Amino acid sequence: MRSVNREDGPVKVTGAARYAADHHPAGLVYGYVLTSTVARGTIAGMDTGPAERAPGVVAVYTPFNSLELRPDVRDDTAEPFAPLQDTRVRYYGQVIGLVVAETFEQARDAAALVTTRYDAERPRASFAAGLPAAVPPPGGTPETDVLAPGVASIDEALAASDVTVTATYTTPAETHVAMEPHATVASWSGDRLTIYTASQGVRLAVERLTESLGIDAAQIHVINPYVGGGFGNKWGTWAHTPLTAAAARALDRPVKTVLTREQVFTVIGHRPITSQTVSLGAAVDGTLLAVKNDGISSKSAANAFYEPVADLSLALYGSANLHVSRKIVTMDVPATTIMRAPAESNGSFALESAMDELADALGMDPLDLRLKNDSPIHPVSGLPWSSKHLEECYRLGAERFGWSRRNPRPGAVLDGDWLVGLGMATATFGASRSQASIEVRLRDDGRAVVSGAAADLGTGQSTVFALLAADVLGIPVDRITPVLGDSATPPAANAGGSGSTSANGPAVRLAAQAAKEAVVKLAAEHEKSPFRGEAVTYADGEVRGGDDAMPFGELLALLGVPEVEVTATSPRHPRREHAFRSFGAHFCEVRVNRWTGEPRVSRWLCVVDAGTIVNVKTARSQIAGGVIMGIGQALLEDLRIEPETGRFGNATMADYLVPVNTDIPPIDVDFLNYPDTLLSELGARGIGELSIVGAAGAVANAIHNATGRRVRDLPITLDKLL
Amino acid sequence: MRAFGFAAPSDLSDAVGLAGDESAFLAGGTTLVDLMKLEVLAPEQVIDINRLPLRGIQAGPDGLRIGALERMEDVARHPAVAGPYPVIAQALLLSASPQLRNMASIGGNLLQRTRCGYFRDVATPCNKRSPGTGCPAQSGDNRGHAILGTSSSCAATHASDLAVTLVALEASVRLRGADGERTMPLADFYLPPGDTPHLENRLRPGELVTEVIVPPLPWAGTSVYVKVRDRQSYEFALASAAVAVDLHDGLVRDARVAVGGVGTVPWRLPAVEAALRAGRSHEDAAALAAAGARPLAGNAFKVTLVQRAVLRALKELAGPR
Repeated sequence: MRSVNREDGPVKVTGAARYAADHHPAGLVYGYVLTSTVARGTIAGMDTGPAERAPGVVAVYTPFNSLELRPDVRDDTAEPFAPLQDTRVRYYGQVIGLVVAETFEQARDAAALVTTRYDAERPRASFAAGLPAAVPPPGGTPETDVLAPGVASIDEALAASDVTVTATYTTPAETHVAMEPHATVASWSGDRLTIYTASQGVRLAVERLTESLGIDAAQIHVINPYVGGGFGNKWGTWAHTPLTAAAARALDRPVKTVLTREQVFTVIGHRPITSQTVSLGAAVDGTLLAVKNDGISSKSAANAFYEPVADLSLALYGSANLHVSRKIVTMDVPATTIMRAPAESNGSFALESAMDELADALGMDPLDLRLKNDSPIHPVSGLPWSSKHLEECYRLGAERFGWSRRNPRPGAVLDGDWLVGLGMATATFGASRSQASIEVRLRDDGRAVVSGAAADLGTGQSTVFALLAADVLGIPVDRITPVLGDSATPPAANAGGSGSTSANGPAVRLAAQAAKEAVVKLAAEHEKSPFRGEAVTYADGEVRGGDDAMPFGELLALLGVPEVEVTATSPRHPRREHAFRSFGAHFCEVRVNRWTGEPRVSRWLCVVDAGTIVNVKTARSQIAGGVIMGIGQALLEDLRIEPETGRFGNATMADYLVPVNTDIPPIDVDFLNYPDTLLSELGARGIGELSIVGAAGAVANAIHNATGRRVRDLPITLDKLL
Repeated sequence: MRAFGFAAPSDLSDAVGLAGDESAFLAGGTTLVDLMKLEVLAPEQVIDINRLPLRGIQAGPDGLRIGALERMEDVARHPAVAGPYPVIAQALLLSASPQLRNMASIGGNLLQRTRCGYFRDVATPCNKRSPGTGCPAQSGDNRGHAILGTSSSCAATHASDLAVTLVALEASVRLRGADGERTMPLADFYLPPGDTPHLENRLRPGELVTEVIVPPLPWAGTSVYVKVRDRQSYEFALASAAVAVDLHDGLVRDARVAVGGVGTVPWRLPAVEAALRAGRSHEDAAALAAAGARPLAGNAFKVTLVQRAVLRALKELAGPR
């Protein structure tokens, strides 16, 4: 396994990397969005006079003085409705205006002068109150059953089990709080739009703007090479982006809109609230006989996305009988959307806690219970897993972590004033290979440019481009220039669904291979080529023929050919004969203060089976990052919705807690590195989401081992342990 | 943020003379600038006091004197503080982040505003920010709010860790205004909300905190600040306890106890101190820590938590008893 530094490390740590908000085209003016302060109703009127008269103000757009924008009817994770096209308020914090001024401060200060009158209605803002009336999602499948021959229902299978456990697990709304707030800089040249916008895929922004602005995709150029984190919140294209583009068109001046940190909480979507009632039935030897999960998720009335939270229960452990149901509670809250491992992160907390409770009921070690139910086939489709080494993750992890030293009796280990417990859980996330196109240009200076409209959210994707191209071309990594985040380059895979490397990796290799072949052909055929007519080969960055060899850059310079350019496309994998998933095993130690109840994670190990690891250094950061986010999910994160008003009660970074350095112990990561050659020749599956799945369950299980308390409601804050 | 006038006087009388009803003093700026950006505060004039001669940390026969412009980090690391008053140093170092502690002044720390989310969001009512508009915290998001000293008008928690320790140590503040100078025990300085939560202390308009005076307490070296919060750093207290004990042969002969994160003002606990002086067990004494508490829907756990924080502090100082 190779391990190299990020190719973009130096520009990022020196501040030279230009993020979306760092662009200042000539004549730039600044937008500041206005947001609603009721959760449901209509806007009766807005007094914009004082704002329009404020210093530096260029324009104030509202539903009463709007910009032309069209709805986006595609199935999306963001909002289908266009901002300012009607007076309807769908949630607290919705964009209801845009103030544009010569400076950011002038726009912000003028925005504070706008007064808005509402005809407010009572919002549906309590998940608990909505639970009894939860319904299946429109257009979705209400339930899925897999039953053994002769078994009439999942409840029959549970009744026939030797041991059963049933409990309800709940998780709060969460939000991504990526370091970079959303920002858009839009400028027009005639009917052509250039836009810098924080995005997990520049083509996603093109698609949305095509719909919103009613122009052709060829007129839109989206550029965004650097992204300060996404976690799903920059997959959708949110209201400020089309609004900024439309304002720039109307004013014939470039416009920049940066959301404030507080605005990001509501203008951008969040992870839904969930409730899962899980029943597990097993034989005395631990063999699962029945898995039942009735999942309910909150869903915003403002957009279409919902989270089928129980579905992971269909995929993780083998069982002759499985049942999952899906329901939603519709709420007048900001968009519910994807966030790192949507559905599976919340789903695993319930399933992995329930597995621990079942192990207790069976008097079995939780690790042995998981080993017992490790399935060689997908429990629903019956397809064999392409490459699954979960058992090795369990065994290796247990050995390395010292799992055998775990005291099975809860609350039995005290170190000073701290109760100490160990917990474990399974990590997993689905894998796929989508279509991806990559362009490689071999240049006469001996460098190679590798381009594709992918995104590096801080994941290391651009370094993956460089590493894989360097391998194929036989040149040092630092002679590769990756170009990501430009919609003018070929359609590579966007950054989502842990699918960047699995799709783009094979495409980079194909394109680099094609570039080699193109330069070989050029060497053999070009009239000025010293290799003309010879049997030409390529190795280690050199073209070879007869007894001669020449680096490709020298050859191109000699021939007067500035560059050789090829594009290759790696097709989508049909996934007909195998099931594809990544797996892993979490082990952690948690300490809980016996007096004041604070839970503190003190040790962590994650053993990963995700196929080929292209770059250990950045892959390790991805896995550690997912674990850190999982610790936040387990112990801290809780986006509180006021049931009366629909307002987020803690929509600031001071009040919405994510872990800080002192909350995070050393995180040990180990990769098995077995290539999944059924997915691609490269054999890489994807690691962006894998390690958050199971992390919160592992913490909950360790806390139970430490204290004897089973907390089934996240986050596990100290008040639940007093 | 609204446009404002700015002055940076270097003379104390000039600073006090410039101040009026619509002015604000700027020291570290870690509260003021935040709240101006949020439009919670919109002073017409900002008076930068960083040039004033309000520095110095000195231990003398009448106790420890700390100039109001000394920075939190500097005070925490000063030998006249860290050795004789560990509770002060710990309270400071458990506050904020190093970046904030390097900026924030001691006077400003004592005057920092509450972290109540309604106070800081001008789109919501708040009796402290806009008298008479109401208090959404009574029935809204109130997990972090106070259980002691609250009223139906306000349940905002006093945010300063330092103030809790200084109240326990019976410190005073020196004040300078247009009418001259006065000194006041810090315990008397803060006002519980009652019907007037916008009045947080006894500062007169234009008056300035110039110095903090901590009287000598020979056994303050046996002191600790226990701060309990959801995350381990960079967060305000859910409950905290500043405790100093006069320990003889493992027995507590005298004690100072104040708690934070639970009160609308820094909350001294004379009943707990009396119980300890009377030789009662740590558990019995700590059980008195939340006497008179009026919890709201989301913060009832603080009753137990503050008792445990006091107990934990006592056990750390005096061992199990």
